[in-house]
Amino acid sequence: MFQKQTLAEKREQRWAYLMVAPTIIGLLVLNYYPLADTIRLSFSRTQTFGRSTFNGIENYITMFSTPEFWKATWNTVLFCILTVPVGIAIALLVAVLLNAKVKFKSGFRAIYFLPMVVAPAAVAMVWRWMFNGQYGIINTILGRQVNWLTNPNTAVVACAVVAIWSALGYDAVLLMSGLQNISKTYYEAASIDGASRVRQFFSITLPMISPTLFVTLIMRLMASLKVYDLIYMMIDTSNPVLPDVQSLMYLFYREAFVAGNKGYAAAICIWTIALIGIVTAVQFIGQKKWVNYEV
Amino acid sequence: MKLLKRIGSLALAGAMALSLAACGGGGAGGSDGTLTMQIWDTAQRDGMQALADAYHEKNPDVTIEIQVTSWDEYWTKLEAAATSNTLPDVFWMHTNYILQYADNGMLADLTNLYDAESPTFYTDHYSDVSISNASGSDGKMYGVPKDKDTVGLVYNKEMFDAAGVAYPDDTWTWDTLVEASQKIYDETGKYGYMAYADDQLGYWNFVYQNGGYILNEDKTAAGFDQPETIEAMKFYIGLQSYDWCPDQVYFAETAPGNAFFSGQGAMFLEGDWNIMSEMKNYPDMQGKWDVAVLPSSPDGGRATISNGLCYATSANNQDNEVVLDFLRFLGSEEGQRIQGESGAAIPAYNGLEETWISAFDQFEYDLNLEAFIEMFDYSVQSVNDKSRPNWKSKVTDELLKIYGGTVDIDTGLANINDIINQAIADAA
Repeated sequence: MFQKQTLAEKREQRWAYLMVAPTIIGLLVLNYYPLADTIRLSFSRTQTFGRSTFNGIENYITMFSTPEFWKATWNTVLFCILTVPVGIAIALLVAVLLNAKVKFKSGFRAIYFLPMVVAPAAVAMVWRWMFNGQYGIINTILGRQVNWLTNPNTAVVACAVVAIWSALGYDAVLLMSGLQNISKTYYEAASIDGASRVRQFFSITLPMISPTLFVTLIMRLMASLKVYDLIYMMIDTSNPVLPDVQSLMYLFYREAFVAGNKGYAAAICIWTIALIGIVTAVQFIGQKKWVNYEV
Repeated sequence: MKLLKRIGSLALAGAMALSLAACGGGGAGGSDGTLTMQIWDTAQRDGMQALADAYHEKNPDVTIEIQVTSWDEYWTKLEAAATSNTLPDVFWMHTNYILQYADNGMLADLTNLYDAESPTFYTDHYSDVSISNASGSDGKMYGVPKDKDTVGLVYNKEMFDAAGVAYPDDTWTWDTLVEASQKIYDETGKYGYMAYADDQLGYWNFVYQNGGYILNEDKTAAGFDQPETIEAMKFYIGLQSYDWCPDQVYFAETAPGNAFFSGQGAMFLEGDWNIMSEMKNYPDMQGKWDVAVLPSSPDGGRATISNGLCYATSANNQDNEVVLDFLRFLGSEEGQRIQGESGAAIPAYNGLEETWISAFDQFEYDLNLEAFIEMFDYSVQSVNDKSRPNWKSKVTDELLKIYGGTVDIDTGLANINDIINQAIADAA
């Protein structure tokens, strides 16, 4: 273990540390310190201007006994259920289609990727007008009057549609890179054996792309559990359906920055981290059943 | 394990993106001849710039830089700046927040700012409402009054004409408001008075007209258990049950101002500070609408909510003569006149109300802007206490539950009373 290092080795090591220092310092100051401080805050009673006093697990007790909090947790989970499976399925379909021999392939790729380049706030603004119950284009096309954003049953769906739409391009690009790693010889062999296109997709494409699919799934789930900006932009604070759609991060924002309740908000934050941790851990265990690394 | 590495590097990339995003700016106070002034209203940027230029002309070695942030961001930023001791040199303060900042020792005491000129400067030139809008709980001045405002009734003249209803005037009561709305709806199919879930531009006015209150005089208890308050709240919330008033679901998508200027409704309550931009933004509507004083309660009770901003500086600048001199200029007659002539808001300085009206000379059509000035006679100070930032959003949530029908009105009002009392107790 404790082999003596030569002077040259030591010097090299010093350089290595120096090279990674900017990143490490950045991480420590901007990520790990805030994380530690959030944990501390979650056990504190906070007042304005950064003053706080330790109050044990009181914030957590309040949190777990507030119906609003459980509602927000459920809203967040529901949002994931609505967006992740459908979103990834569509992204996979788009990726497969864009990987095939079609005309204007790069044009289509750019079109699908465009929503990713647009600021989320701008995306939400435009969709909000489209969903408007009075003079929205969606109602005009459908020829009926649906209050998409002010009806508790449709508001979540409307938000989910926008979320799927805006994440589609990014997921598709990730999946496309996975598709391009699959050697063409498999397909050639399969078609000589007489396997249909559908059969090829399920027996070759899907197993071969499963590692990429897994990464995409994890990233999409994390993003969905943290959803905030979309709901903030789509649902106005004067909208009566807000309690039915507000996500955990939105509740966090309102408690921390509107109501000035930073301790309680920190507890919500820690709960969200735990939730993401659990969901991700479950996926890592579950992946053994379906992700194929043998290439 | 290859995958884990890949996730690892992705996470690292994400973390780096995050850290980049976290490196926002922050104001730093300096006395190197450049002062920063932070405001939240883009519409008033030119007015503030005019003030900065006028001051720079008299004091060439001092330059003032105006920074505008949006209302929501402003308070998040300002609190972070106050916590880390990097407040801008001069900034706007709002009644919603002044007590929180002043009572926690964040603002410089400006009570004696004008002592050299006249020890009674504030009381000589500013109204009691303006002075209390700029005072802390201890009665000291923590800001130089900037402007003052009232809330008026904006109405669509064409709809009144079409329905054959007389325009609103000072004889109007709540009953007239309801009758006129009904008639307009019957005759034209347009909405009447659009009553929505808003405090300053909504129910507060009605509560005070009816002799009720939101907070008691020494700000130790909420007034939602008072019969007059309850009566007014029931009247106001009940307006949405009429056919002539849109419901809260409608207002969640369409603000009353938008509904009014797109010709969907005949009346709504509006603050004077929005009139200038509405004249500019809706040129087609010019001449088709006007302003009147608010209707009185059935017993003739009159009130309008009057709010006002002030200019403040950090407690660290208590003895910073460069900053103090600029503040002195902002509160002087000259400073207030420049502000009024920019048309953004009514100067708080007594006797300069007309400068705001004169800013509207640029339009061909004359609005009855005197109505806003006239109402200062019976204006009520905008509701605030130290804990208001903590209860404001919670009260709105509860109010929406009443509107949505998930809570009945008596329980809802009792809940609102509890929410405010609890916040007062927590902040004590």
